[in-house]
Amino acid sequence: MKEPLVRIRLDGNGRVYHPGETFSGEYRMEGIALEEIKAVEVSVLWHTEGKGDEDLAVHDFHRLSVENGDQIDPRRPGRFSTVLPNSPLSYRGVLIKIRWCVRVRVFLTRGREVLGEVPFRLGEVLPPRSATFWARARRSEEGVSSNEGSQAAGPERPASPGNGHPPGDDRPLPAAEATVP
Amino acid sequence: MSRAHDPSGKSNPFSTRFTRPGGIPYRFPPGMSAELLVERLSRNGWRGQILGSHGSGKSALVAALIPAIERAGRQVVLMELHDRQRRLPKNWTQRAGLSRSTAVIVDGCEQLAPWNRWLLKWFCRRRGLGLLVTTHRSLGMPDLLCTSVDLPLAQEIVESLLGDQKLLISPEDVKQRFEVQQGNLREVLFDLYDLYERRRPVRPAL
Amino acid sequence: MARSFRLYEKKRGNRWTGSKRFGSLGEGLFFAVFFLLGCVGLVFILATQVIPEWRVNHAFVESQCTVLQTRGGEAQIEYSVSGKPHLAWTRTASASDSGGPDQQEGPGRFAEGGRYPCWYDPVDPDVAVLARGYTWWLWLTLSVPISFLLIGGGGLIYTVLSLGKSAERRAARVTRSASRDLSEKTATTRSPFPHVPPADQITDSPGTELAYRLPMAGSPAWTLGLWLAACLPWNGLVSLFAVVAVNSVWEGHPDWIMILFLIPFLAIGIGLIVVFVRQLVLATAIGPTLLEISDQPLYPGGKCDVYLSQTGLLRMNWLEVLLVCDEEATYRHGTNTRTESHRVFQQSVFRRDQLEVQHGMPLAARFAAEVPCGAMHSFKAEHNEVNWKFIVRGEVAGWPNFERSFPVIVCPNGHGISKS
Repeated sequence: MKEPLVRIRLDGNGRVYHPGETFSGEYRMEGIALEEIKAVEVSVLWHTEGKGDEDLAVHDFHRLSVENGDQIDPRRPGRFSTVLPNSPLSYRGVLIKIRWCVRVRVFLTRGREVLGEVPFRLGEVLPPRSATFWARARRSEEGVSSNEGSQAAGPERPASPGNGHPPGDDRPLPAAEATVP
Repeated sequence: MSRAHDPSGKSNPFSTRFTRPGGIPYRFPPGMSAELLVERLSRNGWRGQILGSHGSGKSALVAALIPAIERAGRQVVLMELHDRQRRLPKNWTQRAGLSRSTAVIVDGCEQLAPWNRWLLKWFCRRRGLGLLVTTHRSLGMPDLLCTSVDLPLAQEIVESLLGDQKLLISPEDVKQRFEVQQGNLREVLFDLYDLYERRRPVRPAL
Repeated sequence: MARSFRLYEKKRGNRWTGSKRFGSLGEGLFFAVFFLLGCVGLVFILATQVIPEWRVNHAFVESQCTVLQTRGGEAQIEYSVSGKPHLAWTRTASASDSGGPDQQEGPGRFAEGGRYPCWYDPVDPDVAVLARGYTWWLWLTLSVPISFLLIGGGGLIYTVLSLGKSAERRAARVTRSASRDLSEKTATTRSPFPHVPPADQITDSPGTELAYRLPMAGSPAWTLGLWLAACLPWNGLVSLFAVVAVNSVWEGHPDWIMILFLIPFLAIGIGLIVVFVRQLVLATAIGPTLLEISDQPLYPGGKCDVYLSQTGLLRMNWLEVLLVCDEEATYRHGTNTRTESHRVFQQSVFRRDQLEVQHGMPLAARFAAEVPCGAMHSFKAEHNEVNWKFIVRGEVAGWPNFERSFPVIVCPNGHGISKS
């Protein structure tokens, strides 16, 4: 007997999407008999991951339920479609990561569930530790000029080129920082 | 969600979603199990305390005991007290379904003001509710278990979190952080989060 | 009435079945007691200390006396009023030993048989003093009854105004900012950028040189206020006990236990005063920092003009403006709650070395700043945040470095596409 699972396929390039774009795809249930299915939930959501407690928000949610008379046929693929919001964009930070994904949860009889999940990227935010990000930061700094102020006293040193740098990269491992709110 | 179920494979294994209480299966001492502890709790009239210092696994043990307590036929009411929280949530005594088959679990009970602690014990005794607390110091209830973490256990837990990414964090790293944090596993895992972030290769944007 | 009126009842569910009127009455009584205590304390201190001291210095009549005998801190003097001799015991110095024009030499300075000036009360000539002056710490003791008066009076006014009004109406009157928060929250949900903080607080504040004036995070006024709030009641209370201790010394029966007990409290009080004065000097010497910006919100890859104005009376080793991005993560594990912060981007957009800011001639500078392409936008969720801000920091000769923070909002650009 095949292990029950849910396969999800995304339309488009399947990896990177942009705000305002229509995000769509289909899901297939395998190894699941029709009479076992009680309900199917499809959600497009984002959640955080990292050092802080998780935040999660569902952008789009649909539920099909046998009880409500919805037609659910495991032999045929189900489809989902939504327009992606402007934010929050996917992000791979240091303390915080924001991940978008589509989840399909199939509720079966006897309290069982089968979950399928596929991540995707929303937007093209650069990880702050990436070389590309810092190269662009240095380019933008070189393009910025600092003007003379109306009251000059003493020599003025312009903002030094290449001073944009990943702060704290070669710090020793920090001691636990506790700030009680 | 366990590491095995992480579909992206890019997560820091020390993220809070993997290390929060319940995220790491509690490692019982040899000869001990959740069922045996629940049996001991039952013999003590469903009253007990879990003793242990910061980051020694008290909350993780509670998460492991809850399913066993429910299997034993008790309904669980869990209240987690956080920093400087000196009283229980309002109206908790008004909750529907509180009965003699209820086990009240208070995580962080030592933070309650003495008067509130006395009220809690009195209320549970009066209504015949079970009461299990976690605490840093004895509150005069029967000891259920004293939690502690030693270095081998910490290294075992870190290894299970790392999965196939063992090259980034070595047992020596764990030993060093364990000594600095004086056995507080929670702080060790937070430190290892930072270390992992610094050592992991940065993937290109696309 | 069908049944007796119950003042208080056990709560059922989420509803209280007691009387709101009696609740308000109880609240009013509580504040009235505070107010009464404040009044009594104020009257007592005025009547027993302040007014008599004032009369000594303004109303008493000068005369000449002979010191008949001395003991401890007191002397018996003989003087005449309208030809009639009077005898009186009096202290040999005022408690302050203020060294004012009427202050004679130190204690033990009145020899038996010697002639000295004295001052007598024209209303009651049997009362006379050998020394005059003002007790400076007496005024501190007034802070205690005054704070009771303020708390009690303010509470009474609030109770009277709130009597008979619904909780919603009270909340609407007292917390106008809450309704502003409500509209901000609504704006967030309606915002085209979910979980990006709204820029309303910034765009509501126009600048004089550029379009928007950035609000500063954490005003020094709050810090000053907090230190003052700590300093005044503490020193007020301590000074009450100090009065008693000093009196005991001057009367020749020093209460050493109280004096020893007081020393650490006095030390803390002095420390609080020092910190407050230091904060005050810092706040006044380092005057307001104004930062204005040409555009808000900002976008990755977008440039903006920035205007800086720094006032004060300062000699600075350097002054710098940074554009930074911080990640903040809050976690609760077990009984601990922590917020950790990590700076993921920092860029100096302005710097000047060895400068002097004159009073009335603020330093003014205009420069440009750019958010790098591909940078993460501002983000706010319950436990995680990404915050952008300008930081103005400087090293002032002889003083600790100062740092002031001005939050800005960075929105994702239209298509979330990096601009190269």
